[in-house]
Amino acid sequence: MPVSSAVRIENVVKRFGSVQAVKGISLEIPERSLCGFLGPNGAGKSTTIRMIMSIIAPDSGRVEVMGATALAMKDRIGYLPEERGVYRKMKVGEFVGYMARLKGVHPAGLSRRIDDWLERLALPGVAKRRCEELSKGQQQKIQLLASIIHAPDLLILDEPFSGLDPINGRLVTELIRAEQARGATIIFSTHQMHTAEALCDKVVLINKGEKVLDATMRELRAKHDDRGLVCEPRESPRAFADAAVARGLAVRARPHENGTVDLDLADGTDAGDAMEAALALAPMRSVALRRMNLDDVFVELVGAADGTTAKGARIDA
Amino acid sequence: MPDRPQQSYLGKIWLVAWREFRHTALTKGFIFGAVAMPVVMFAVIAVLPNLLSKQQPPLRGAIAVVDPTGTVVPRAKAILERRPTVAELAGELASNPPETTAERVDAMSQLSSASDQVVEVEWRLETAPDAVASIKSSLAKGELIAGASIDPGALDPAKTAEGVEIFIPSSLSPKHIGQISRALRKAVEQERIARSGVDPGLLTRLADTPEPKTTRISPKGAEAKENTELRFAVPAAFMFLLWICVFTSANYLLTTTIEEKSNKVMEVLLAAASPMQLLAGKILGYSMVSLVILVMYGGLGVAGLSAAAMMDLVDPMHLVYLVIFFAMAYFMVASMMAAVGSAVSDLREAQSLVAPVTFVLIVPLMLWMVIIENPNGLFATIVSFVPPITPFVMILRLTATTEQIPAWQTVLSIAWGFACAVGMLWVASRIFRVGVLMQGKPPTPRELLRWALVR
Repeated sequence: MPVSSAVRIENVVKRFGSVQAVKGISLEIPERSLCGFLGPNGAGKSTTIRMIMSIIAPDSGRVEVMGATALAMKDRIGYLPEERGVYRKMKVGEFVGYMARLKGVHPAGLSRRIDDWLERLALPGVAKRRCEELSKGQQQKIQLLASIIHAPDLLILDEPFSGLDPINGRLVTELIRAEQARGATIIFSTHQMHTAEALCDKVVLINKGEKVLDATMRELRAKHDDRGLVCEPRESPRAFADAAVARGLAVRARPHENGTVDLDLADGTDAGDAMEAALALAPMRSVALRRMNLDDVFVELVGAADGTTAKGARIDA
Repeated sequence: MPDRPQQSYLGKIWLVAWREFRHTALTKGFIFGAVAMPVVMFAVIAVLPNLLSKQQPPLRGAIAVVDPTGTVVPRAKAILERRPTVAELAGELASNPPETTAERVDAMSQLSSASDQVVEVEWRLETAPDAVASIKSSLAKGELIAGASIDPGALDPAKTAEGVEIFIPSSLSPKHIGQISRALRKAVEQERIARSGVDPGLLTRLADTPEPKTTRISPKGAEAKENTELRFAVPAAFMFLLWICVFTSANYLLTTTIEEKSNKVMEVLLAAASPMQLLAGKILGYSMVSLVILVMYGGLGVAGLSAAAMMDLVDPMHLVYLVIFFAMAYFMVASMMAAVGSAVSDLREAQSLVAPVTFVLIVPLMLWMVIIENPNGLFATIVSFVPPITPFVMILRLTATTEQIPAWQTVLSIAWGFACAVGMLWVASRIFRVGVLMQGKPPTPRELLRWALVR
């Protein structure tokens, strides 16, 4: 059964003066998926998100949100902008209530609902406090709450983890998972590759206004897993690395200071056979399949575009 | 997808409007500033002069006068001590109550200037012509509160009244100087009249200039009693009321819009409502704030006039015009403030954009006298049709006089004014739409124009 798209954008272009912020991006985000927007600072992630939200209009191209425009679907979308803001003098409960009412939530039972949510966000009893009395992290959670209080079908979060401590970061991660489980489609942008790796079904990598990667995690793993081994020889890692390349076991071998050696396997090499060959080559503490690392993918794709050899840059890091 | 209730287009506008109203008008700051403050000020203005007039410092001490004829001192003494007290004036008013507005105003000013001041002055009569030196030394030692020398020549009705000198110590208050000086001048005048043999009563009657009763006859033949002071006061009050109501709330609109931008709350709002809904909600919300101020201040004015039985000064039609021109003025000024507020990032940047607007709007404040003087004059007629000041000038003209403004001008100014207000709202919405998302350097007026005109 074909999965329908929550967001579909086609060949979208946006310029600001002489700067082309988005250069013809097309993508589709299936319903109920959890999609990560990755990319370096100034890549065009927020601009793309703002166009999806119809906050700014593209110069050309088409944006479709749940089969219509975001303007028509405003009440079914939750949005956490990159730049956080609350009404400083407003009480927390009032602020969240105001946003909920604007999104069409019925006032009956609303304050109860807000209290429950505040409890869930580890902010019990702050409803009567003014927003300005809360810490920055707390304000951020309040704003996140304001974007999900109306149980949106599409949730767009621009850098939801920035500025959060690990405990709150985990809390937000769980919240995002719960929203997906409820049935929402989620798009979030982040710099934190490990979070994206842990959460996403799909990642879109944007660099310099262009989409450089658009794949599901399954596709990424299929492509990048099994393409390398991480070996920990009992003796000299450098000698093992040289031997592995000399015997044709790997096309590249990189010894690390912690005593492990990364082996890049030649295309078509069976990972199982390679592991056996590595064990036969030298006494080993451990041999493992190298798992896909989004950080590496990011550095490789973005670095390639910047003209630096990403892998080389990483070896001695 | 689950079936979910959606907020209607107008529902969102109303939510925004109510939030703005609630967080502006229902705050302690507003209630104190816009509601309690005028009440307190009114009370202070009404009560303070009375309190002050009753607390005049007593006039105590000795006054030495070189009066060779000995005729001036007794007269001066009598004049200084015989001043009507509040109680006397009140008694007089009770037996002979004022009938016209002008008489009432007159009685009130008399009452406020009357006092129960204590006067305990010992007059010392010096007859030696050379006593001036000793008076001066006594003054220097602080033994006297004043001294004077009257040249007998000043009392001669055949000559001019010259040769009266007054000496005072440096510590005497201006009020007391005035009282003593007046008593001596009056005493010399009385003595001169007495010496001339003319009946003082006749002289008073002769010097009495007529106080003409002015009646204004309208082109239709209707008569109205003319009251010059109030003829100026009433239109000015209407115009200032309009000005204060509109500017107070438009200023709130400006500052809250800037605050939403600098707080970054704007983007959150834009994810929930369109720029048009936000703008409409804000303008509606602050129109309610403005109305509260209008009702507050206007109501206070009407209550004050009713209390003083002076409601005849205000034609009910004036109140209708007030509401019409209030709406016009509010939408004009609010749209400008919303546009500026959306375009800038802080209040300081707003100042430079608002300055030209404020400059134009100050015109009616500076020229209200000219407009009231000649409400059908060329200047008044022309400025009635200059958009942002149309409502302020028209309310001045319409309330200025019983003289009729040509009906076509009233109708045209209302039609033209509202057309301009709609145009300004449209331009504001175009600027607002672009401005709310702009950060950084404030736009130039030219850029604002471009925002208004681009797709």
